Order: sequence, then C-alpha cells, then structure tokens
Amino acid sequence: MESEQRKFNFPDVIRTPSRFRHTLGKYRIVINKSCNNCGLCVKLCPYGVYTKGVKRPRVVCEHLCTGLSCSKNSYYCVAKCPERAISLTINPSFEILGDKRWTADLLASTWHMAETGEAPYQDLNYKTGDSNGGFDKIRFVFPKKGTTRGSHKDSDIRQKDVTVADEEISTEIELNRSGDTRPKITIPVPFYLGGMSFGSVSIITMLSRVRAAVAMGTFCCTGEGGYPDELTEYDDHIITQVATGLFGVREETIKRVRIVEFKYAQGAKPGLGGHLLGDKVTPRVAHMREAVEGSALFSPFPFHSVYSVEDHKKHVDWIKQTNPNALVSVKVSTPTDVDMVTVGSYYAGAHIVQLDGSYGGTGAAPDIAKKNIAMPIEYALPKVHKFLIAEGIRDRITIIASGGIRTAYDMAKAIAMGADGVCLGTADLVALECIRCHHCESGRGCARGIATTDDELTGLMELEWGTQRIVNMYTAWRLQLIDILKRLGIKSVKELVGRFDVIAHLDYIKAGEIEGELD
Amino acid sequence: MKQNNAIYSIINSRRYFRDSERFVRRADVESEEGGCGVTGFACNIPVSGRHIYEPSVQMHNRGNGKGGGLAAVGLTPNTLGVSQEILDSDFLLQIALLDESVVPEMEARFIHPHFNIHHENFIDTIDDYRDIPGLEVRPPVVKRYFVRVKPEVLIDFQKKRQLGMLSLDKVEEEFIYQNTYTLNLSLYSSLGEKRAFVLSHGRNMMILKIVGYAEQVAQYYKLDNFKAHIWIAHQRYPTKGRVWHPGGAHPFIGLDEALVHNGDFANYYSVSEYLKQRNVYPLFLTDTEVSVQVFDLLNRVYGYPLEYIIEALAPTSEMDFDKLPVEKQHIYRQIKTAHIHGSPDGPWFFIIARTDVRNRQFQLIGITDTAMLRPQVFALQKGDVEIGLICSEKQAIDATLESLAREDARFGKVADRYWNARGGSYTDGGSFIFTVKEESPGHMGLTCTDKFGKVIDVQHDQIPYDFTKTMTIQTTDMKLPGDVFNKLTQGDIYGSFLYIKERIASWEYIDIYTLLNNLTSMAASNSHKDAIIGLLSMLLDRRYATGNKRHRSILQMLLDALESIFRSVPLLNVDTAPQTYRRIDFETRTMLRAPSEAEEVLVADANLFQPEGDDSFARLLSDAYSLGWKRFICFGNRGQRFLGCGFGPNSKGVVIDVYNSSGDYLASGIDGLEMYIHGNAQDQLGQIMKSGKLVIYGDVGQTFMYGAKGGEVYVLGNAAGRPLINAVGKPRVIINGTALDFLAESFMAGDPHNGGGFVILNALTFDSKGNVIPQDVPYPGSNIFSLASGGAIFVRDPFNMIVPEQLNGGEILPFSLRDWELILPYLKENERLFGISIDEHLLTVEGEKRHPKDVYRTIRAAKLSVLSGSASKLSINEEWVAGDHVLHAILPQSGL
Repeated sequence: MESEQRKFNFPDVIRTPSRFRHTLGKYRIVINKSCNNCGLCVKLCPYGVYTKGVKRPRVVCEHLCTGLSCSKNSYYCVAKCPERAISLTINPSFEILGDKRWTADLLASTWHMAETGEAPYQDLNYKTGDSNGGFDKIRFVFPKKGTTRGSHKDSDIRQKDVTVADEEISTEIELNRSGDTRPKITIPVPFYLGGMSFGSVSIITMLSRVRAAVAMGTFCCTGEGGYPDELTEYDDHIITQVATGLFGVREETIKRVRIVEFKYAQGAKPGLGGHLLGDKVTPRVAHMREAVEGSALFSPFPFHSVYSVEDHKKHVDWIKQTNPNALVSVKVSTPTDVDMVTVGSYYAGAHIVQLDGSYGGTGAAPDIAKKNIAMPIEYALPKVHKFLIAEGIRDRITIIASGGIRTAYDMAKAIAMGADGVCLGTADLVALECIRCHHCESGRGCARGIATTDDELTGLMELEWGTQRIVNMYTAWRLQLIDILKRLGIKSVKELVGRFDVIAHLDYIKAGEIEGELD
Repeated sequence: MKQNNAIYSIINSRRYFRDSERFVRRADVESEEGGCGVTGFACNIPVSGRHIYEPSVQMHNRGNGKGGGLAAVGLTPNTLGVSQEILDSDFLLQIALLDESVVPEMEARFIHPHFNIHHENFIDTIDDYRDIPGLEVRPPVVKRYFVRVKPEVLIDFQKKRQLGMLSLDKVEEEFIYQNTYTLNLSLYSSLGEKRAFVLSHGRNMMILKIVGYAEQVAQYYKLDNFKAHIWIAHQRYPTKGRVWHPGGAHPFIGLDEALVHNGDFANYYSVSEYLKQRNVYPLFLTDTEVSVQVFDLLNRVYGYPLEYIIEALAPTSEMDFDKLPVEKQHIYRQIKTAHIHGSPDGPWFFIIARTDVRNRQFQLIGITDTAMLRPQVFALQKGDVEIGLICSEKQAIDATLESLAREDARFGKVADRYWNARGGSYTDGGSFIFTVKEESPGHMGLTCTDKFGKVIDVQHDQIPYDFTKTMTIQTTDMKLPGDVFNKLTQGDIYGSFLYIKERIASWEYIDIYTLLNNLTSMAASNSHKDAIIGLLSMLLDRRYATGNKRHRSILQMLLDALESIFRSVPLLNVDTAPQTYRRIDFETRTMLRAPSEAEEVLVADANLFQPEGDDSFARLLSDAYSLGWKRFICFGNRGQRFLGCGFGPNSKGVVIDVYNSSGDYLASGIDGLEMYIHGNAQDQLGQIMKSGKLVIYGDVGQTFMYGAKGGEVYVLGNAAGRPLINAVGKPRVIINGTALDFLAESFMAGDPHNGGGFVILNALTFDSKGNVIPQDVPYPGSNIFSLASGGAIFVRDPFNMIVPEQLNGGEILPFSLRDWELILPYLKENERLFGISIDEHLLTVEGEKRHPKDVYRTIRAAKLSVLSGSASKLSINEEWVAGDHVLHAILPQSGL
C-alpha cells in the first residue's frame, strides 16, 4: 500500500559552522616549527582543514579532518608533508567529552550534521553510543550488500538492486488516526520536538526549535512554562503543554494551537513533577508563569484534578470543549502497566500517546530520581504495540516514543519496535552545541547559553544560526532514515512500524545465525 | 482468650485454601480496574431497581457498556416467591452460569449434599438479549437458591474444621463462605474455561452483573418491578477492552455485604499479603475483591464493631488523631498496629450494602479514603418516606431523587441535606451509614449516623410539603400582596425579597404556592420577567427562616416555578413579535442563530444534552457566544459539564446564570465573564480561570480553582479538598464556609497588597432558621497553605483555633489595618450577594462587636529554604566569574 507522498518543500541546508572559533573535533592537528610554509597541505586537503598562513598554514577546521583513516589516501597530509611537520593525534579533550549515552563521537557527529546537513564522513560512530544497553544493543538486520529485501519476511527472492529515488520514499506520518471529526494532521517527518519550557531554556533556544520545526513541517511543544508571545506567529506548529502545575495555561493558549499535550509524567523522573529552581525563576519567567520571582517552582506529580481514569477522560473532554479542533496528546512515563495506561488514554479520547522512557533528559531533578526508574523505552514500546494490536485499536492511535532518542538510527529502531514516530529533545540542544556538562539547573550555569534565561548568556546565540543548525541536523536524519528504509526495501516509514523482524538484539542473537548485515 | 481462640479457629479452618493460589493465574483473570461512578441509596420503603440507573441512563458515556453490576439488599419476599421468614433466615445463593451444562455437576457437588433448599428458580429474563439496544454480550443465566445448611452437614463441618468453640450460627456462616469459595475455585478459577461463579450468597441480598450498561441489567433481568430497600450500582470504565463475562465486575461479596468501589489503590499486593496471612486467598485479583474480604474479615472473624472496621480501613492520623479522646487514641493505635497493612492506600471510595442479621437491620455505608482523593456526596431526605443517598457526584443524587419523585411524589426532588465526608477525620471519620430498621410493627425507619455514631437528621419540626396533593388555589384571582407587586414593578428586587423573607415563616404552603403561581403567570406574560426571575433566584439562593415548613420543599417549589417561567419563553425558531428572551433546547439545537435586535437573553434547556463532547450543552453555549449572545440562563442541568469553557479570552460582558444540578469543570479557563451558580456546584470548577466573576450560592467540590490565575470569586458554602491548589497571579476569593483540607497548597499568588491574590475564609454556616452562625472550627484539616510561596489567607478565627502545626511553610501574622482595607471591598460585595453582614455577622463574636484585628488572622508564606534560590548554588557561578583563569585551564579548548 503506497502512501501518498505530499510534495513538501523541505528546507535547504545552509552550512552553519560553530559560533565559536574552534569547533571541538576528534583529532588534533599540530604543525610544528619545522614547517617551511610550502602550502602543500592547504592544496591537498579536500576537507578544508587548513588555510594559508603567514608563518605557517593555520589549522582552521580541525573538526573536518577525516582522521587517521586518511592514511590510505593519496592526499594524506601527514605523509606528504616534506618536512614531516604535521602531527595528527586524537584530541585529548575528546577523550573526556561526553558520556556513555552521548559519547564524544555522537556529540561530534551531531555537531557535524548541524553544520553540514550530512552524516559525518570522518570516522565517527554516528549510529550508536556506548551505554551497553538500550538502543545501543539493538541493530538493524539489513540484507547483504547487493541485494534488497522484499517487504515480506521470506526474502528468498533476491531482487535485483533497484535504485529507488529518495523522493519515492515517504517519511510522513499521520497524527490523527482515530477516525473522529477533528482535523487530520500529517507531518512530513516522523517526529516532533518535545517540550522544554521557557525558564528552563532561553527564548532564543525556544524560537530556534520552533522555527526549525516550522521549516520541517512538524511541531514543537512549549513545555510547561507557558506560551511566550514570541511564539504566536508560529501557532500552527506549536503544541501547548498542559502540565500538572498548569503554569501559563490559559484558554487562549489552548485555543490557538492544533495539538494540546497533557504531560502526566516525564520518563526522567517518574513520580515527580517539573522542577525549576529558584535561580531560574527570573523576573521574566515569573511574569510568564504568574509566580513569585526567585522562588522555586515544583509542579505536583499528579494532576490534582485527575486521581482516577475517568477523571482523565473528563480532563481530556475539557480540553476538547475549549478547543473543538485540537488533537489531544497524552505524555506519560513508562510504568509496568504502561499498556493499560495507553488503552485508558485511548478510551479517554487521546489521539496521541507519547511514551517517555527512562533515558529522557531533564533540566533539573533531585539526585534520587535521576533516571533508571521507569521502564526503558525499548521494553515499553513492544509491550504497548502488541497490547494495542490485541485490543484491536493499534491503528486508531498514534504512539510517539521519546526519552533519549539521539540519532536517526535510534529513531528508526524506536519505530521498528512499535512507535509511529518519536519526540526529540536533547538532540536539538546538542545541535546548538550543548556539550552535556549537566549544569542546566542553575541560572547562569549553561556554558553555551542554551539552558538559561540570563540575558548575557542568552545573547551567546543568534536566532538564525540556531534555527539553521537544527534544520541541518534533521535534514541529515531524514536522509539517513530514507537510506535505512531503502536498504530494507520499504517505501514508507509507516511500514516500518512494529517490524521486529528487521531488528536484532545483540545479547540474544548468535552471530552466525543472522542472514544479513547488522548495522 | 476465648475471643482470640474463636478468631484463630476460623482463620485456621481456612488453611485448606492455601493451595488455591497456584490455580489463580493472572493471565486468565479478566478483571476490571477502577470504576466510573458508584452510587447507592437506602430507603425505608422498598423501591424499584429502575431508579438506581436513572443517573446512568442520562449519561450513557460514563460507562460504555463494558461492565456494570448492582446489588440489592432488603428484598421483598413475594417477588421472590418465598415467605418473609425464609427471606430473613435463608442464605440467598445466586449463581451465574456461564456454561449452563454445568448445573447438574455444580448442584451435585456444591448444593444438594449440603443444603436444605427451600426454593429455587432460574431468574426470569427477557426472551432475546439482542432486543436491548447496545447489549452485545449475552448476560449469564442466573440460578437462585434459598438455602440453609443441613444440620448434620453443619455438625460434621464443625468437627472437621475444628470450629467447636463457635456457635452454630457462626459455623453456618463460615460454611456458606467456604462452600462459595470452593465452588468459585473449582468452576471458575482453576479451569481454562470458566463455567460458573457465585454472584452472591448473603441473606436478603442479591447481586447481578453483566457486560453491558448498568441499566441493561435491570432491563434484561426484568428488575423494573423488583423492589428492595437498598440498591448500589457501579458502572465500569474500561482500561481493558475485551471482557466476555462479568466475573471481574463489581460488586464483590464478603458474606452478607456487597461492595462497589471507585478508585484504585497502590498497595494491592500489601493487602493481599495481609489477607494471605489470615488464609484468605483472593480469586479475582482486583482491589475491590480484597477490600470486601478485609471488611468481612474484620467484621465476621474479628468481630469488630463498624467503627473499628472503618478505622482499620481509613486510619485517623495527624491532627485528627490528636483531637480524639484519649481512650479512642489507645484503641485506634492498636487497630493500626494490627491492621495497617490491610488498609488500602490511594484514591478510593467504597459503598457497601449489607444485611446486619443479628441486629435485624440493613445498612448502606460510604467510606472515603483519608487523603480525600475521590469525590463523594452524601444526601438525606426525610418526610413521608425516608431515603439516604451516596454518589460520586451530587447531580447523580438529584437525578435519582427526580426519578423517584416522578413515580412517587412522596419523594422530594431536592434532598434535605447534602454533605461531603472528611476521610480519616475526628469529626465524622470519613464515613456515613444509613440504617434501615423496623421502628414499629410494619414500619421501617431510616437513620443516618457517622463513624462515631453521631446522628445526622433533618428538622422534624418542619413539615415537608406533600406534592401528591393537588394544590387548588383558593382564590384564583388573588393578587400579589401589594407591596411585593409595587417593589417588583419598581425593579426593587431586594425590597420584594425582604418583604417575603420577613413573612414566609408564618405563611402556609398554599400561600407560597399561590404567590409563585401568580409570579409565574406574570413572568410568562413578559411583564417584569427580569425582576421576577431575580426575585425567585434570590429566594432560592438566600437563607431565611421558614417556620414550620421544610426548606427543601420551598426550594422544590421555587425550582418548579423557575422552570415553568423558563419553559414559557418562546423557542428561537418560533415566529413572534420581538422578544428579549429566547429559548433553545435539545430538539431545536440546530436552529441556533445570532440574536436579533431586541433579543438579549438566551434561555438554554440542558435536558437531554450530553454532559460533554461535540454535541454537548457546553458547546452549544460557546457556539452561541461566538454568534453574539451574551446573556445566558441555563436550566434543566443534570450534570452537564464545562459550562463557560471555550469562550476564549476577553469575554467580559457575558453573564451566565446556572440552575439545577450542574456538573464538573464549570467556569474553567474563563477570562472576563460572570457566572452565577444557583445551588451547589461540583468538582474542578474554575480550573486555570484567568479573570471574571464566579458566584456560587452553595458548596463547591474538589480541587476548586486548581491552577487559577485570577478572578473574583464568592462561595456561600464550603469547599471540598484542595481548593486553590497551585494557583498563581491574582485570584481573590471568599469562602464563607470552610474547606475539607489542603486549602491553597502551593499557592504562588504574589503579594496581595501589590496586585497579588488571597483567600478570605469566614468559616460560617447557617442554622435551621437561616441565621448565620460560626462553624465549630474555622479549618478542620491538617494542612493549610502548604508549600505556598505567595498570596495570603485571611481567616476569620476570633478564638485563635488555627495552630502553626496546620501550616507547612506558612506563618500566622497579626491581621493589620492594611489587610482590612484590602479585603473590605470584597466583603461588601459578599454582603450584597449573600446577605452576610460585615457588622452583624463577621465582626460580631458571641454577641459583641469587635475590631477586625481581633476577628481575622493573616496567613502568609514564610521563606522556605527548599523554595528559595539557594546561595550555595550561586557560589559555583561566582567562582566562575572571579576565577576565570583557573577554569580556563581545565575546560577543553573549545574557544569559550
């Protein structure tokens, strides 16, 4: 069943380098004083690592160096240098960068994608991290090179390698599958951007994300801190979040938008509400939320008006009465009965259920709650997917996975495990050059001016720059998704949903038994 | 010791069930969750089962036909085909047959060998279940037996189970219990295919449950003419779609009790463990089943009085515990020590119907959880008939009364009293009991008590009006008393009200009826309609002495008169001369149009509208507003929700009057409009409201104004749990009564003297003569203003009864002149709206007028370290700024 490919005009990639002088790269290139400034390296390097210098060439784009694997190339500067003046080593800073989930490779890959709109060519692992679990243990099983896979499992028929044009692969998904009278909303990419409130991030960060979402034809959520006026011109692409503290929630912010999201819980800290510590409750934030400046804001865990499942239905009905056209999304964490919660939400009238797994990010959380409480998303997804099929309602609700989706491969794996699409958060911030230093919760702690509303730090980022960085990254993701689909012989991302047969878990397979290439 | 041994021997006699655990596999059990709505009523005369479903029939979308059940207690012998004696003494064994072929085997194993059967029959049903629209699954065939255990079987059982120290009647009860358990285990739990299970086995009690709408039970099993004293029902909300038989539905049974439950608890496993330690092994794996098993255990095995059972389920704690008398504290502490693990934890509300055989009475019991997380309303009405009602929502109570009143006019449409329980409290124990018992030969009476046995009653010296009598107006052309007429025509509504208020105590019902009749005719002919509606509303809203007449009868007359006036307004689509008032109802809803030149008021009849959804009453109103209507009168409400929602920003100028039984979420999100609710209001009102005016002439329910941003709000009565929680900005609220608990938790409303928000809590109520009197305590809860960081509460507390222990981050400050000047304008409006006088009622304490600072106290937020921006966090950044060069060396070379 071919899906109709809407002719959506995807935005152009515009090369958007780092706003800082030296982009962090995997390799360190040093030209020592034996250099005679012959300029050969400048001429040779196709990646633009060098420019001419007065005394010696300047290493301006270290991060574009393809690395030690270049030694097999004829233009390998290190070998070609007549004076042997060039040294190429792993950048020591790279070794302390990142952590097991967001490795240095993933960070640098994301920065590369945000700069160029393409997957990195350098020897950077842009597909998996180092967490030894979760998506990092799951691989796609692609047919061996030179073959493509039929849509059916019995791929004995080896088809000829047919080149399919990118335009013929559909990456769109439908958000309203309930069959009710509310508008259908199709987004050309299988993701939207998750909520990060004004107060937890700066207005420039918010607007960059929103404008990138607009460019990609998808949506961005406000988070629970209210709806800054600056967002009004993008109403059609905003998801208003109604969280348990009800901050900034007013009828007009509900009526303006096409999707309203109930945030019941967050995967990073299930059982707790949102936190915004006192430092970040600046005058502007306090004004937006109508709260008291300098005083920390804790959202309660439950909605106080929802203590049972029929209360939940009443709550959904309330939003539907306030906005007769909006779709309703329910964001929940992943307790052991997440399947029942999802079914309950369906009957309450939700169009979308967003499962926020335990790898999710947060701007602030008490140490005791940080991560590892809710069910990991790779357990929750198949459980929910299969349960909904058994209940006969899988095709009437849209399941969105979130919580630690870092790459296009994570996204595709999540879809293969039962999600219709994903919701993204940290990846956007990394595109804006977040280095994952974990100082988000203090008012002036963000080294990159992302997770702050301090005026001086906010000024570190320009809106156009931020917008384009995120656009570039998601363009790169979309191309990778298309590539994955092509290799699997699938023409539409909708057909990837629940395809457990195209993925394998490294702990549960025997290498010799897999027919295909693991990637 | 003998008592202990008796307990032990019963527990021990069940040890043979230990093995049953392995037969119960979770995957096989299709049990339901939570519950949508629970309802129950007890009446001193038997009433038809039809009435328990009236509320549900109106609200089809509450359950959606995935499961419903009911229980009846205090049955009528002739409809069952037995004598009163047999009905009283026999166990009514009612069994659902999922596979009819099981009957011979079932009877051979579980019925014939053990019982003397005094009567048996299959319950009559309609011919084809498909004749009931929407009923998709065939309800089970049900067989019923009236039995006593054969004496020799009983003796044998007593010996085998070592129950020698129990009297034979207790042994018989245990036999019935164990026999049912074994039957269920054999024919239901341990098989792949379920064949039969026991619906109920108590005395004078029966249960039915199906996969379908609750009222379909009544239709299918032909219960319309089946009468009982007590009915309880439950409509299921599905979190799991496919159930093909009703085994897992509510109600569940102990022995002589049936329980329905709204909510969910978190410690199901803990309670199951507690039961297993006492050899009770649940078969259906739902919280409801374990709840009633705990009840039965405490009642029959431990022999506790009802008060202790309630305490074990909902323990008293915090300030409430401290306020108990010392002897009770000792006992309650023991109960908690022994039984805390059997106490359900989480949002729950139980309704139990039972036969109390030894005391020869029937009881309907409502018990609410100690954190007040589920809504519950109790109601009492006494007159020629006596009835007590318990529901999740007030509008369900009113719908039930209306249904009863239509059939039998001795019932009034309005209850004498409505109230909420306060879970785990020292005041009422969070539980109320309606007991039906023979008071004189052939005549049953109903009594209402709380957990401690305190009686709740009506004003017996006030006689309700007998609506069965047709009122004949003595003088058909009797004019209105001149003064009333004059004032009305001059538009002096208050003056005409005062005139009536001063005389109504001495009038007879006929005088009131005549007056109302004349007013209705006047208004119907368009003369002074505004003023008359205003007058009648004021009579409805205000409190005054009614002499020897029951207040609710007057209310019923007023509501009838108003309805009559509203119905006489011409419909929108009727061609007439220009009208100020136009009416719209369900039938004519598609004719909604913009108001024409003269038209100002849209009178909207809520009857037959869905409570929510695209075709709802609330949607009609918001659509009408967008067409240009600004004045609304909404009547005929039966739980319709969301009125006033969806009007959007800047709705100032809109005025909405709401009559009858409105539903939840009214006035949520409003920005500018005014809403007047003439009666009690329900839950989740004013959520996130931004601005505008809300006046409630009665009580208001749970989580009032949750997350509100502003608004000017006046409540005549009490608020329930968690009013104004998480509110910010500048709401200004007067609650003339008090609240259950958690008032203004996490309040963040800035500085009240600088544009911020506040709550004025007057803690007043009215006596039976309509006089304003103070409540016993200004605030009964253990938590006021917890974790608040802004705003204030100004509480009327002349005897300084509120103590710091009730605060959690707030502080009590002296009430200043500046505070008084801030709240005075609101108190003046409060006086105008409700007649609560600043001088006579607010500032007068025990007959003496006092200065405001000796009457009110101020509660403000204290600076909480957990909420304030902590200096220690800032120090990291300060190091950064000061010691730049130090950090530069550590940070990676990233060009920062």
